[in-house]
Amino acid sequence: MSGIAGRASRPRRRGASALPLALTGLAVAAVALLVLPLVGLFLRTPWSRLAALLAEDRVHQALRLSLVSSLAALALCTVLGVPLAWVLARRQFPGKRLLRALCLLPMVLPPVVGGVALLVAFGRRGFVGQPVEQLTGITLPFTTAGVVLAEAFVALPFLVVTVEAGLRAMDRRYEDAAATLGASRATTFRRVTLPLIGPSLTAGMALCWARALGEFGATITFAGNRAGRTQTMPLAVYLELERDLGVALLLSLVLLFASVAVLVTVRAGSFTSP
Amino acid sequence: MTLEARIGVRLGTLDLDVAFDVAGGEVVAVLGPNGAGKTTVLRALAGLVPLDAGHVRLDGRTVEDAAAAIREPAEQRAVGVVFQDYLLFPHLSARDNVAFGLRARGLAKPAARRRAEEWLARVHLGGAAGAKPSALSGGQAQRVALARALATDPALLLLDEPLSALDVEARLSVRRELRVHLDAFDGPCVLVTHDPLEAVTLADRLVILEAGRVTQSGSIREVTSRPRSPWVARLVGLNLYRGRAHGHTVALDTGGALTTAAAAMGEVFLVVHPHAVALHRSRPEGSARNVWCGPVESAEANGDRVHVRVGGPIPVVAEVTPAGAADLRLAAGGDVWVSVKATEVDPYPA
Repeated sequence: MSGIAGRASRPRRRGASALPLALTGLAVAAVALLVLPLVGLFLRTPWSRLAALLAEDRVHQALRLSLVSSLAALALCTVLGVPLAWVLARRQFPGKRLLRALCLLPMVLPPVVGGVALLVAFGRRGFVGQPVEQLTGITLPFTTAGVVLAEAFVALPFLVVTVEAGLRAMDRRYEDAAATLGASRATTFRRVTLPLIGPSLTAGMALCWARALGEFGATITFAGNRAGRTQTMPLAVYLELERDLGVALLLSLVLLFASVAVLVTVRAGSFTSP
Repeated sequence: MTLEARIGVRLGTLDLDVAFDVAGGEVVAVLGPNGAGKTTVLRALAGLVPLDAGHVRLDGRTVEDAAAAIREPAEQRAVGVVFQDYLLFPHLSARDNVAFGLRARGLAKPAARRRAEEWLARVHLGGAAGAKPSALSGGQAQRVALARALATDPALLLLDEPLSALDVEARLSVRRELRVHLDAFDGPCVLVTHDPLEAVTLADRLVILEAGRVTQSGSIREVTSRPRSPWVARLVGLNLYRGRAHGHTVALDTGGALTTAAAAMGEVFLVVHPHAVALHRSRPEGSARNVWCGPVESAEANGDRVHVRVGGPIPVVAEVTPAGAADLRLAAGGDVWVSVKATEVDPYPA
């Protein structure tokens, strides 16, 4: 723009463009904060040692244990979390809001606090752990089962929240339609409700698994750090930082790829309409 | 096969209490304004809303009785429902939607699918068996929903606003086809709608539902010629009054009186067809027995006629020609004279 009109309007235009410029600058800083560490991870990864590192026992052990325990935690969360989400979404009872708040608390609770809480409840001296051990001989803390429990504790709310939202958003008249067609409650749940909340369930399971896979604080507090039994990948990463940075970087990379896969799954789920 | 229903349901602000019977092979339309409780009637018959009072009997068998605490849940009733927006299961093909009820009732998958395909062929959708509901047009979805409801061989068929989700063009063909299937169904059929055209083209008999109560029921001819509520009168385009008759004079409940040619006694309704109402700028000379004066409230073109609404002691809608409207100088406002012959005021017992 040129001429008198352009010059006359310049001061105001500059004032108007200062804010977007500042916002853009801050946004760039945010991106740098989020992306630079990942770039660092890629730059420092010892790509040449990759094959050798992957063959190492401690890497294997941590990978296998993480996979087994996170999948077991996911299974536990799905079996317990879908019914809980259903109760929260569909049932009316006094104290429901309080119950929901309690069930979602682990999402915001510092994981280490969760670990301590698990220890006092399910530990060998815990008010649940002691009778359980006396009756069944099963000890939870510092075992793989304890890892699963710790992971499920922190990951379960993610599944519950997502599935509950899916159940609330679903048009319940589909369930009515199924009933008029002669379907029992159980058949309706299996053949209508579950497929209709499929995207939410997938997203919830993906988030739940990611949270379980990355769990550190509650696990190390409640289950300890024993190689092959309770030392999951995040724990191994932390330990290997002192011993072998290459291993730490490699395991971090594996966790990063798992996280990306989860993100893709969740996005795909949220864009698939029932 | 017959349906006997008395439905008492309290739901929020809705206080529903209606009773009607439907014979086998008969199609009854429950017609009423939005919010009258039509869908609740249907949901109660289907067992999706419990009765607070009343009963539902199918072929003499009690399906639900509030007083006797008998209640068959929806999944045990032999009731087919076509929902307003069809509610086809989006994750299932047309075939599996129709087969759903058969499978739920214990039929093996291959047999259920075979039966479903027969039903789809019957509604001329044999070629779309594998299509998901999202790939079907509105008319096709409606036919799949009908096939799904009929496939389980229900003792009672319920339709909720069966054509309202369709565009105007699809409505005509779907209505014609729906009529054929309703005629072929030998059980009682109840359809609810707010659309009078849908009601009179699909149903044999009308039940008018307003604010949770039946205000009128009867054959289409009865209801349209002798309305018993202002809503029905407006629907069929008649002027309706209520009053107490004494011989040839009817004192209206809202004040004023009208003279009738036919003598009557007691509480009566009166209808006056708008084309029987004459309007004048000055007091008319002549033989009309009912003459009064009132302000023009509105005038709107309706086809090649103009409907003029006149307020005053006896509100009335008159149907005049555009030329007549021009002579009346309606734009000038002010009062007009209304005249109606006694022979055009039709009384019937309230």
